[in-house]
Amino acid sequence: MKPFAPTRRTFLKAGTATAALIGLGPSVLRQAAAQDADLAPYKSAKIDWQQTSGETITVAVIPASYFENLISLAPQFKALTGIDVRFEKIPPAQIRQKSVIDLTSKTGTYATHAADPMYYSLYDANKWVEPLDSYLADKTLTDAGWFKFDDIIPAWRAADSVDGKLYGVPYDGEVTIQVYRKDLFDAKGLKPADDLETFVKNAAALNSPNDRIWGTALRGVAGAGQNMYIYPSIFREFGGEWFKGGKLTVNGPEAEAALAWYVDVMKKYAPTAAANWNWPDIADAFSQGTVASYIDAHSSASVINNPEKSKIIGKVGYARWPKGPTGKRVSSIWNWGFPINAAQSEKKKKATWLFIQWAASAETQARTAHRFAGPTKRSGVNRTSIWKDPDYVKLMNGFGDNFVEATMATLQGDTDVDWRPRVPQWPAIGDTMATAIQSALSGQATIKAALDDAQRRVEPMMRG
Amino acid sequence: MPHAAATPPAGDLGRVLAQRERRFAAALLAPAFVALLATTTFPLLFLIGTSTFRMDLAMPFADGFVGLENYRTLLADDRFWSSLLVSLIYTASTVVLQVALGLALALLVMDMKRGQGWFRVVAILPVVLSPAVVGMIWRTFMLAPEFGIVDYLAINAGLGSQNWLGDPTLAMVSVVIIHTWQWTPFAFMVLLASLASLPEDIYEAARLDRASAWQRFKRITLPLLRPAIVMVVIMRTMVALTAFAAIFTVTGGGPGTATEILNLYAYRKSFTELSIGYGSALAVALLVVTILISGVLFAMRRAK
Repeated sequence: MKPFAPTRRTFLKAGTATAALIGLGPSVLRQAAAQDADLAPYKSAKIDWQQTSGETITVAVIPASYFENLISLAPQFKALTGIDVRFEKIPPAQIRQKSVIDLTSKTGTYATHAADPMYYSLYDANKWVEPLDSYLADKTLTDAGWFKFDDIIPAWRAADSVDGKLYGVPYDGEVTIQVYRKDLFDAKGLKPADDLETFVKNAAALNSPNDRIWGTALRGVAGAGQNMYIYPSIFREFGGEWFKGGKLTVNGPEAEAALAWYVDVMKKYAPTAAANWNWPDIADAFSQGTVASYIDAHSSASVINNPEKSKIIGKVGYARWPKGPTGKRVSSIWNWGFPINAAQSEKKKKATWLFIQWAASAETQARTAHRFAGPTKRSGVNRTSIWKDPDYVKLMNGFGDNFVEATMATLQGDTDVDWRPRVPQWPAIGDTMATAIQSALSGQATIKAALDDAQRRVEPMMRG
Repeated sequence: MPHAAATPPAGDLGRVLAQRERRFAAALLAPAFVALLATTTFPLLFLIGTSTFRMDLAMPFADGFVGLENYRTLLADDRFWSSLLVSLIYTASTVVLQVALGLALALLVMDMKRGQGWFRVVAILPVVLSPAVVGMIWRTFMLAPEFGIVDYLAINAGLGSQNWLGDPTLAMVSVVIIHTWQWTPFAFMVLLASLASLPEDIYEAARLDRASAWQRFKRITLPLLRPAIVMVVIMRTMVALTAFAAIFTVTGGGPGTATEILNLYAYRKSFTELSIGYGSALAVALLVVTILISGVLFAMRRAK
């Protein structure tokens, strides 16, 4: 703690507080004490939180419970730093475009935004965001011993870096894992799949459309963050390499085998509607008991465990991705991180960094997760230490069997930063691939034709 | 002629006054004119200008003036041609369906003795809905296989469950139906109003001459309604060519590129792939196509 050294400001504050106390009595006293206790864990950091007091920053986030929890803590941040934060909620489908338009016009509207990790290459190529290493190293801005940057899940940190340089700090993340109905599996003596072949066999054994139960479902709707979120893992598990000899390659035998596997599973063992499904649709169908297993983000566990809607609570188990023919497991990983918009004044950049440090700190992460007062708890906290906190583990294991173990094992062992091609052209490549995958799934083109066409379209994108 | 300059005749005074009045009129017009220039003409010229540049946000180092390069790429781009074809099919089928159904409904409702007002109110409802909302409703409640209402009806009618939005042909049919469903009431209202204004005495004369109902429709109603029909066709064609929201929310152009109209392709190129220069060229191409088609339609209207 800092020694008590009265300044004019604290003196005035104390004076006002005393005056207020005399007037308003014990309720204010309790509140003031509560606020002091609230901020104590932050004040133990050896930095001046108030250094940019009076600034106002705008932060773009998506409307999701993990950000809502953060927004509800904004008054604490204001009390700590004197910085006003205005949150703007933008649906995930538009946040990339909106932030790109803001960054390219250099208006500095969003001091920071919830960023897609695949976009950092693009941001870096245009110098739209600040490299963060200097902020981490600056002792006036960051107390390394307090912030403990290395405590943040390494896979997500790596995803928010380009060529070893950090551009965003992960706030909330996810990995894809296998989710299955324990009761249905047990009834047939099945075990969660260890390889893709068994995954198909399990799906086949449980697929019974006449009883309104389908074997599985994977994301089918076209989009860089939808079907192109699941397919790359399959592609990598089948031995695919995005950069063969330095050249971006999206077709070839491995790609064909991977896409054939995906199309086959979707056509034979998934509801027809799944061709247009994104993860919330899959989780909804699973929670209504119509899907026996799926592979998707671990964060969907909160949807399938929603006591108001779900019919299968207590019947869910989790496992890591099944291995591909190469014996490799490749999970799809994701995180919403915060970069610093470069088109701002130095003071605003500092204020933005203080916000990012606050949001990504262990204390705020805990306050928005297991220590959050509201009903929705986060499953994507960014810190290894919290994933080992017994309170948090107990809360998370309420989602079903093996949840924390599967998630942690996947985060540590099954991730691969280059599971998607991380280049500035990603938005175009992602969209092209998404269209190709859907063409193949809908039968508009054969698997080979769809992939070859994608390759033809991708090549000119990579030429400078 | 020195004395003429000293005392201008009355005609000259009138000319000076008229000139002053023109100046005053121009001054009054100027603000609106400038506002119009700034909001429509300037962006249009800017778009055309952008289409002559390479502007790739993913590769800022390669940006620069490329002249007609984007248009050459466009002519060789088979996805441009296929999206143009999709646009034309979409426009032609929705406009024909709207006019045919709108006219049929209008004729039907004209003869309704009671409940006409009520019917008009109900019929106009789809028009006032946002296309994006309409798209979401159709996509989730109506067309989802196994779960949607239309699919439920199809199963009960013995057609079996259909993948309405997942099959390339059915997806196209679905988006055409959705657009037709939403906008037929517009054609219906316009045609109903024109029908109501047709003179009754011609029909009476035709009946006295024992013209059949079909003859009356073909020889009297249709020719008299022609101006209204042509107007509806022009307005609906221009809107259908530039349609966006409903298709965007229902299929996003999919499956694959089966329902990707030109507008959507231009949008994806510009804002998803961040290839602004080429996206602008696509938008200009759409503009040219729209101008050409509406030019032809206006010419037909005048030709009579």
